Amino acid sequence: MAMAVPGSDRFSSRPVDPATLAASLPGSLPVHTVTQEQIDALDPLTYEVVRHRLWSVTDEMGEALKRMSGSPIVTDANDFDFAVSDELGQEVQVGLYNTMLVGAVDLAIYWTLQHRASNPGIAEGDMFLCNDPWVGGGLHQNDAMVYQPVFADGKLFGWTSAIAHQPDLGGVGLGSFSPAAQDVFSESLPTPPTKVVRDGLLQDDVADMWVRRSRVPLMIGLDLRAKVGANTVGRDRLLAVIAQYGADTVKAVMKRMMTDAESRLRGKLRGLPNGTWRATGYQDQSHTGDRNLHKITVAMSKDDDHLTIDFTGTDPQTGVINCTYAGMRGGVMLALLPLLASDIPWSAGGLMRCFDLVAEEGTINNASFPAAVSRGPIGPAWLTGNLVAECLSQMLDRAPEPGMHVQATCCGTWDTAVIAGLDERGPVPNPFLSIMMDPMAGGYGAQPEADGMDTGGLFCIPMGRVPDVEMTEFLYPVLALWRREEPDSGGPGRRRGGVSASMAITPHGTSFPIGLVLASAGKAVSQNNGLAGGYPGNTGVERIARGSDLSAVLADGRLPADLDEIGGEQETCPCYGETYVAPGEVFTMFWQGGGGYGDPLTRDPEDVARDVRELKVGAENAPAAYGVVLDGGGAPDLAATERLRGEMRDARRSRGASGDGQRATVDVSRGRRLDDNLVAVGAGADQQVACRHCATLLGTGTEGALDLVRHEGPATDAGPQIAPDADFYVDQAVQFRQYCCPGCFTAISTAVVPADHVDDITRASRVLADAGR
Amino acid sequence: MAYVIGVDVGGTFTDAVLDDESGSVVAAKAPSTPADYSRGVLDVLELLAEQLGRPVGEMLAETHHIAHGTTSSLNALVTRQVPEVGFLTTQGHRDSIFIMNVEGRYLGRSPHELQHVLEQDKQHYLLPKRHALEVVERIDRDGEVVVALDEDAARERIRTLLADGVRAIAVSLLWSFRNPVHERRIRELVHEIDPDVYVALSSEVSPRIREFARNSTTIMSTQVGPGLRDYLTSLESGLRERGLAGPLLVMQSNGGAVAAAEAPAQAISTVGSVLTGGVVGSMALGRRLGHRNIISTDVGGTTFLVGLVVDGRPERETTTVINHHPINVPTLRVHAIGSGGGAVAWVDAGGNLRIGPESAGAVPGPASYDQGGTAPTNTDANLVLGILPERGLLGGRKALSLEKAREAIRLRVAEPLGLSVEDAAAAIHAAQNAQTGDLLRKTVVEAGYDPRTFVLYAFGGSGPAFCAAYAAHLGVEEVVVPLGAVASAFSAYGLAASDIELASELSDPAQLPVDAVRAEKNFAQLEDQVRQGLDRQGLTFESVEIHREIDMRYAMQLAEVTVPVTGGPLDQAALDEAATRFETRYAELFGPGSGFREAGVQAITYRVRGRGVLPFSPELPALPAADGPDPAAAETSRRPVHLDITRGFEDTPVYDYAALRAGHVLTGPAIVEVPTTTVVVPAGRTGTVDELGNLTLRPAASPEGA
Repeated sequence: MAMAVPGSDRFSSRPVDPATLAASLPGSLPVHTVTQEQIDALDPLTYEVVRHRLWSVTDEMGEALKRMSGSPIVTDANDFDFAVSDELGQEVQVGLYNTMLVGAVDLAIYWTLQHRASNPGIAEGDMFLCNDPWVGGGLHQNDAMVYQPVFADGKLFGWTSAIAHQPDLGGVGLGSFSPAAQDVFSESLPTPPTKVVRDGLLQDDVADMWVRRSRVPLMIGLDLRAKVGANTVGRDRLLAVIAQYGADTVKAVMKRMMTDAESRLRGKLRGLPNGTWRATGYQDQSHTGDRNLHKITVAMSKDDDHLTIDFTGTDPQTGVINCTYAGMRGGVMLALLPLLASDIPWSAGGLMRCFDLVAEEGTINNASFPAAVSRGPIGPAWLTGNLVAECLSQMLDRAPEPGMHVQATCCGTWDTAVIAGLDERGPVPNPFLSIMMDPMAGGYGAQPEADGMDTGGLFCIPMGRVPDVEMTEFLYPVLALWRREEPDSGGPGRRRGGVSASMAITPHGTSFPIGLVLASAGKAVSQNNGLAGGYPGNTGVERIARGSDLSAVLADGRLPADLDEIGGEQETCPCYGETYVAPGEVFTMFWQGGGGYGDPLTRDPEDVARDVRELKVGAENAPAAYGVVLDGGGAPDLAATERLRGEMRDARRSRGASGDGQRATVDVSRGRRLDDNLVAVGAGADQQVACRHCATLLGTGTEGALDLVRHEGPATDAGPQIAPDADFYVDQAVQFRQYCCPGCFTAISTAVVPADHVDDITRASRVLADAGR
Repeated sequence: MAYVIGVDVGGTFTDAVLDDESGSVVAAKAPSTPADYSRGVLDVLELLAEQLGRPVGEMLAETHHIAHGTTSSLNALVTRQVPEVGFLTTQGHRDSIFIMNVEGRYLGRSPHELQHVLEQDKQHYLLPKRHALEVVERIDRDGEVVVALDEDAARERIRTLLADGVRAIAVSLLWSFRNPVHERRIRELVHEIDPDVYVALSSEVSPRIREFARNSTTIMSTQVGPGLRDYLTSLESGLRERGLAGPLLVMQSNGGAVAAAEAPAQAISTVGSVLTGGVVGSMALGRRLGHRNIISTDVGGTTFLVGLVVDGRPERETTTVINHHPINVPTLRVHAIGSGGGAVAWVDAGGNLRIGPESAGAVPGPASYDQGGTAPTNTDANLVLGILPERGLLGGRKALSLEKAREAIRLRVAEPLGLSVEDAAAAIHAAQNAQTGDLLRKTVVEAGYDPRTFVLYAFGGSGPAFCAAYAAHLGVEEVVVPLGAVASAFSAYGLAASDIELASELSDPAQLPVDAVRAEKNFAQLEDQVRQGLDRQGLTFESVEIHREIDMRYAMQLAEVTVPVTGGPLDQAALDEAATRFETRYAELFGPGSGFREAGVQAITYRVRGRGVLPFSPELPALPAADGPDPAAAETSRRPVHLDITRGFEDTPVYDYAALRAGHVLTGPAIVEVPTTTVVVPAGRTGTVDELGNLTLRPAASPEGA
């Protein structure tokens, strides 16, 4: 564990008890609130009407921000969010854009109330600016939040906030990202809450201090005003609602929205089985030159109506792949909102009362100052979210109620490529800097009754977007040779993971090399895990055709569709690094698809035939991954398919040592489904777990382990979507690991993991604890 | 030539309105005939002629023109009943239409659906991948050819498509709007192989930057183009046989018409025609009544459509969404904000009363229709509250069951909330009004306007029962309910009143200051296209109006704001003025001080709109004048009606609209029964009947209302 820097703990914001916070405020800051009686006295009609109004207020703020922003990350890719909070900062209504930010916004407001109320004071007409990820608001310094207290009758009534990713706020690396950063001092300076608007007036001194740090000051200036404008819209609209219905009524509605969301989530949790679920995932490489794997591990326990999410055992903070407490909490929210709360209004202040977080200080997802954290949201927080999603999906798959949101893991990270150079297409050469936003088109994980969405986007930004290629080429001196969906990038499964895409660009309109700052993960070890035997999606890869002469190829009338057609030397990029792509060279990105659900040998052959037709699965991979044989017309040959699938199961049987010998079977006709492959029979302590497909008895009681056959092989056994060259990135050995039913050899779990990975597949209580309730 | 005829083909009914210059109006309604919509059109024309008392041949011979709006193309797209088409695009970029910029997953979904991420999908892709093929060619953003078109390979792709039975091909290449040479050559190659294949080029259908929307626009246009061509050919020949001498015009999404022969090539421009008729009708009526700012609300059983007329002109937008795809069609801005009279009231798990977004639709319909529906709707609440007559709708032809309405509200709303059935119905009515008011206000305010400076028009089956209440939420004082001769076919009336409107656009994105010579060249070229287009309509215009505009934005923004540019040769001063207008409009939309000129302003798309004003202005017939303001003669009954939570049930007079005369003044609370709708005049408001038969609601204190 790293030693905390003395004096830095002042900036570590944590959730606080609202009553304690309220009691700590100075008399100079009168606060508006309501009693429980006032909340209880709300009539349904007023509640409904005002709730709708508050929804509109938030929505209008988001529209305003999106339209006013000058950052393509906001306007073309929707990486931003906004919220309306009560007087103590609890989030009443949040936007549908970057849902990780939801876990950080309130932390900044709590901190502001604790540290700014007396000096310099919190007054009507103020707005604060913050990009300190320890304080909250955002998950790394590029997330800049502008937020304001809203007063009614002279009392602090609530808060509005707008937050967006800024392309560059200084630091040694382009885009404020240094892949070699030793600590936060190589990055953009974290700015704790600072009054940027006083008495309704944007303070030029603060605004200048803010834009001065950036390589793109104009854009930062425009975005600052956009956020001020969005808050102004929010305040005006909120005050109009207060004027119509009265402050007490509006506040009572706000409080009740949160308790409603809380009680609905608690009700849902109560109906789910109790138990503990675990997941462990990795980031490969921590910074430029590193060759290690770094793990986050989580144990999620559900007891009655409450979740405890415990990250104990996670690796110590290292390199640039850390996030603060805000990032960890944001990661949890990215999973919880769509999986558990899609049918509950996102009154996050209420939803967040339903879980506790446990994490050691100084770890990857609870990093202490001065760790480098600029990779926070897109590395560790994202992985945190995906691991929590994996736990939630295991729990929800066992729900007695059908229709729960179960999903294999989605695209596991953001493939960062900052591009910068000189645009020589205009009358005067112009420097440019941006981030390739195309990796927003990741694949979604498969669900029990649906394939993962192909290029469906990113799980953490429900309303993300990729820019049109023409807009990228208009803004920057590049030519895109392709941007296309990649067959086989979705993890095979009974339901297939969604495919991802790749893109190739070359400098066009500049005589200088374009500088690249790269950061990614999931290149050696899968981050997009399958579920219930489904296979992981593809590992990511970035390559450069080095020393090639593309102009000769183009002049020859050829448009390359592959690096092989370009010439030069193919250079594979590390996870972290700074490099360049020169005129005549080509840079390709290939980001992650989603994991599969269920054993691909149980996929409907017609679905595989359609996938081959629609180029989601390569023709050669239909037999290899799915055991499906297609005839000359592309239709499944059912007899040949059955034969091949039988041979593949036999191969699984013969590769393992412990697969021999007869197992007992049980009557599963009245069993309770546990997931795609497992069923529980009986009740109480004598419950048995059996295979749904062949009725083989796999275990009895919640103690001990399930009788599954474990196999380890080379990582490429998982299929062509997995990189064969893990040793290019990391020193640890990486392997394919599969657990199968010893009776029919259906895959129960399939993964690509480090050789020393500790999994949790065979623990009987994983599937059986409390299943009989 | 004496007549102008508007024909509006809807999903269920085909409406027609015939108008002449002396103030007589005839309306007719016939069932639509989905197998061949032209039959329904010919049917309704027979009915019109019957009402007119003249043979259909004579009527058509004296018809100046027929303006036609049809929902068939839109229906075909929405229900995906379209023929297989091919798509040719630049190598490496076929998947643009499958990646859909990711946004294809959620565009056009309601806020309610947006939160359900795992229930979304992208299964609505436009065509199978085997019909989306790539050609080797590349043009860059400056229009320079980087890789020449490989013609042999292109021929092979074309043959592959044709061999697969495709008879229409959409061609959309990167940057083709900057240099269409490759697209045009591909069309030649197609026609060398088979001259009968329908080909649409993105550089002609939608020469606008951003390839995803341009691709999908071109493909959808190709999907409906051949069908529209066949339909209009058959309709026009049917009309000619029956003696039509004047032109057949087709309504477009932009609120103007185009000659039938010109429509198929730009088929996508006609898809929204059926939605815009109401806005055009409002604008025409507004001209008569002297209203320049109008909020047009068209509320049916399942839809709630809102359009804005500002300073006498309709609000426009440059993009719309169909089947979760962005479509580049200059269109009148029509917002679908709710689900009309059939919206279902329910109580959620948190004990909150909610209205919609689910609708009981036409089948099974509201519980009171007694067709098996058990969900309480706005219509059911209105019945319980006495707003709708117990004997039913359409003068009793559509029976309503009060018992079923009460039962549905009791079970689904009253008991869960611990309210009486009457109070629950009142709560539904009030929640619906508030919700509608909010959405309406958002629509108007987000467009940058103050609703208090508008008059609200309400039509459709369900609107007039709510309009006074939602107008009050908006702060709108004056509400007009059109109840005259065209009330039942207001959209068709709008068609009859429309002019010819054509638009051409071209993206030429650049940072300001733009070279005035280059900008003028763009405009001159577009204006030339528009004027030639108007010439091809085969019509004589009273006048031709040309409007130039540029979509501008602050550097890098996604949202562009359309600003008008003065006509005539463009100089630097005119461009500067446009930039200033952009900044002014931007501040109106997003708040003063939100602009930031230092970041730079970019001109993205140039557009010229041409309006050919037809020498024909239909007149509405006058209603006989009343003896005085007292409407007692039109009162048919009284019943207890609940309109306001603070007042409860009140004995309320009910009037028959057919007996109302110009100058009658109704004092609220009052109900006006019309065969197709029911109008509510709440307490504190008056309703004045004007000389065209419209009912205008105003606050009772207003001097004009007395």
